[in-house]
Amino acid sequence: MAEIKKIGCVIVSHGQVANELLSAAENVVGDLGHITAVSIGWHDEVESAKEQISRAISQVSEGRGVLLLTDMFGGTPTNISAMFYEQGEVEIVTGVNLPMVIKVANQNTEIPLTQMADEVENQGKEAIYQAGDLLIPKKMIKDA
Amino acid sequence: MLESNLKIVNQLGLHARAAAQLVKLSSKFLSSIKIQRTDSNIEADAKSILSILTLAASRGTIINITINGSDEEQALDEIEQLINAGFGEL
Repeated sequence: MAEIKKIGCVIVSHGQVANELLSAAENVVGDLGHITAVSIGWHDEVESAKEQISRAISQVSEGRGVLLLTDMFGGTPTNISAMFYEQGEVEIVTGVNLPMVIKVANQNTEIPLTQMADEVENQGKEAIYQAGDLLIPKKMIKDA
Repeated sequence: MLESNLKIVNQLGLHARAAAQLVKLSSKFLSSIKIQRTDSNIEADAKSILSILTLAASRGTIINITINGSDEEQALDEIEQLINAGFGEL
């Protein structure tokens, strides 16, 4: 199979959440050269945070666009990331969780950035379960 | 098309890192590889970590693997080895 060019990804969060999410994903799937993390400190200036995100985008870009995954809609990391929005070039999806990072980690085919953004958004939503909802019905079947 | 029932034997079940190993292996093959729990109709694509995780297959779960394609024999052989070896965790 020919090497595919990947969509780059930057995880942007408050505190160290971004770094730790990336590190957890790397523990599962191995090194992820096309994903990086920017942790915005509680006391960072907007300009310095912007500069960090800008550098991160150029670092992971392979020419197929970059997806910014931010921690919380309405928060500073998202608001600063939103300044980089450019349809088809830089897309932003909020509410990052580990399944979303793993989704971006595994790219087997070259799909457009906008489609990747849609898939990552759906993946993030679908990966949330109340474990009890899955466990109780099975227990009831066993008891029956 | 080849089909086989396999038991998950490692203590942690089909967890994230185990699923990642299975995906890495499955992706080497051209064949389509599907996994289904034998006690429900939840089906997963063996080439997607997140899909495999939805099976929530703990130790003792019997999974049914269906492989379809030109390299199905080799694929089944290697997948059987990986699962029976408990993903190297035994």
